[in-house]
Amino acid sequence: MSVANENLVSRSGGLGKTAGIWHLHSNTINLLALLLLLLIVGRILSPTFLTAENLKIVLLAIVGTSIIAFGMTMVVISGEIDLSVAGIAVLSSIAGAMFLDTGSAFLVISVTLAVGVVLGFLNGILVVGIGIPSLIATLAMLGVARALANITSSGKAFYPDDVAGYLWFGRGDIFNIPVPIVILIVAALLSIILTKFTVFGRKLYATGGNVAAARLSGIRTWRVKITVFTICGLAAAMGGILESARLSYINPAAFPGMELRVLAVTVLGGAALIGGRGTIIGTVLASMIIGVINSLLNQMGISIYVQQVVTAFIILAVVLPGLKNRLVAK
Amino acid sequence: MTLSKHAASLRGISRIALIAGVLITGATTAHAADEPVHTVLNGLIGNYAQAARDSMTNESVKELFDKDGFRDYLDAYPVGELAGGFVWEPGMGATFTGPYSDLEIKAPFTDYLPLKEGPVLNPDKTYRIGFVFHGFNHPWLISLADTAAWEAARHPNIDIEVIDAEFDDNRMGQVIDNWVAQQYDGIVLWPAREAPMGPPVDRAIDAGIPVVSLDRRTSSQKISSEVLGNFYANGLQQGLYLKEISDGGNVIFNRKDLGSTADSIRTGAFLEVIGSEPGYEVTGNYHTKSQRTLAFQATADALQAYDDISVVYNTGGEEAMGSLDAIREANRLNSAPGGGKIIILANDDSKEVLKEVASGNVDMVAPYTPLIGDVGIRAVIQHIGAKEGLNEAPPKLIMTPNLPMITAKPMTIEGVKTVTPDNWLYAYGPAAK
Repeated sequence: MSVANENLVSRSGGLGKTAGIWHLHSNTINLLALLLLLLIVGRILSPTFLTAENLKIVLLAIVGTSIIAFGMTMVVISGEIDLSVAGIAVLSSIAGAMFLDTGSAFLVISVTLAVGVVLGFLNGILVVGIGIPSLIATLAMLGVARALANITSSGKAFYPDDVAGYLWFGRGDIFNIPVPIVILIVAALLSIILTKFTVFGRKLYATGGNVAAARLSGIRTWRVKITVFTICGLAAAMGGILESARLSYINPAAFPGMELRVLAVTVLGGAALIGGRGTIIGTVLASMIIGVINSLLNQMGISIYVQQVVTAFIILAVVLPGLKNRLVAK
Repeated sequence: MTLSKHAASLRGISRIALIAGVLITGATTAHAADEPVHTVLNGLIGNYAQAARDSMTNESVKELFDKDGFRDYLDAYPVGELAGGFVWEPGMGATFTGPYSDLEIKAPFTDYLPLKEGPVLNPDKTYRIGFVFHGFNHPWLISLADTAAWEAARHPNIDIEVIDAEFDDNRMGQVIDNWVAQQYDGIVLWPAREAPMGPPVDRAIDAGIPVVSLDRRTSSQKISSEVLGNFYANGLQQGLYLKEISDGGNVIFNRKDLGSTADSIRTGAFLEVIGSEPGYEVTGNYHTKSQRTLAFQATADALQAYDDISVVYNTGGEEAMGSLDAIREANRLNSAPGGGKIIILANDDSKEVLKEVASGNVDMVAPYTPLIGDVGIRAVIQHIGAKEGLNEAPPKLIMTPNLPMITAKPMTIEGVKTVTPDNWLYAYGPAAK
């Protein structure tokens, strides 16, 4: 069993190893069951819901949010939070857009990703180096990043129509599979490997589970946290590229409220805001659940306002039982 | 102030306008070619509003019209003549570089409520004017600020302070209160929402400071002037165009926030026009919050749910671009029943949307120009002058001229001559490649 699960056990007040493993599994199983149920309901309500074309549209709709949520999940597992993801996505995209005139997709994408990495790293320094609570540090970063995006772009949007290599990330395909979906799968696999099958992953869960104990165990928790903030910055920049390339539109006012949508997916996926708990698989499933719900409600012609209520209730319905169990265990 | 109070106070004006419209439209058929587009469109608004009041025979359209309460909003929205007998013609207006956007702008209404370049009012005095709005990062709104700053810069004794309240009503209220404390000479604002800005505007008026709102309204009864847009003509023309080129079909709606003026008036006016046409069916109705991504997703999902969509109605330009992208991604541009093109109706004359009109992807756009900040500045200067006994005050309701729709090829629809993208000089925003 991993350090993560050991921490989980200690957190859950001596429920024992089986209970800890069961919790993780049960959460994933619950999410999977909910997803299947929604797909069945979708099929009953709409004959075209389970077509390959529609499933492709559902997946394309969740790509940006999912990839950013992978980064957020790691940050949350480490016991922190990152509210700056939308700001980083916007500022890094705008920074890359400054190089659209070169016609070099490589340059535009490199700059975008580099800015995301730098901003994520800065978040880590603010939180770990200076000791600012992550809620405050990343909230400040959100404001600064959005403001800088507006200042550098003079509020103007950019159109990457002439940079085919950039658009490929949003509109291209590999063996008839859309590139964003391929990137989503690759990002999910890499994130799963990183969190579940590496030493870094075990350190991550240990840091989030009990930072003092992790430190006493010789884990350099500051390094773990800076790393996850940096990964989250990279994920935000990647999400920004995919969304902007799909619409061929790099907008300094883009992604309003995305940080909360990403956080909602992360929490629905089973990540605990107190740290030490959460899985990428859970985040993937949660993201798909939200995507399926939105698509289904859109196809039924249900108002976006009702969609927000339904989504909120589903998050509560999934998260509350786990929370209750933890409270009972305490 | 609530909507119903607005309705009460403005119903009189609207009814006079409607009656005038009906009378004018009686002559429209014969003299449309000779009449200014503003008059022609007001006449059509009067006609269709009255027809919709009398009956709306399309049950699907009527159901949506009644459900969202469009009648109340439409009755409250003023329709009337231009101040000082102004007549607008295509081609009018000054050209300059926007001080904030650095984009070349041709503003259509710089001859409306005109003021000569140079010092205004008392040349020995410097007048401080506050201009508060939301959104330097929004192409429509930055253009609004551009025109306001340009007009102020034409007058050396006008000192303008421009503040972006970043869509925070409280912050806008604080900015106004601060200007009141500093005894500014005049205030111009673009309020995002009606109700929250009423009290700060009232406080400014009580302190003797003239206040002018642009485009959207406040709940203040005391406000000096309101420079109003032409939402009614937008939705009307979308309906006229659709009726002209089709006999019916399933319609998807990508709308702005429920209850916003832009959505209520544009969509309401559109429904009034098609409300007695039997062939149209409301298939999907989405509020995509002026966000391209949401409009994209809603349209993509609607395309999956329905294989017989004929029309996509969009309340704004962002929605139109989002829906177009979704239709293109799904390779469904020519998937209307019978192999026809899906008709895409848009508002907001950004350069990006105009490019798609010229390409034949978006079928028409009803212009809603942000280039009216200059009108607000001139109006507030004239209010300051009236306070000092130097000139007459401008009217409380300052209508901006109705603008004709833009189509790929020139058309004349019920007396309205459309303009082609190449001949539309007033598009805003960055050029789309």
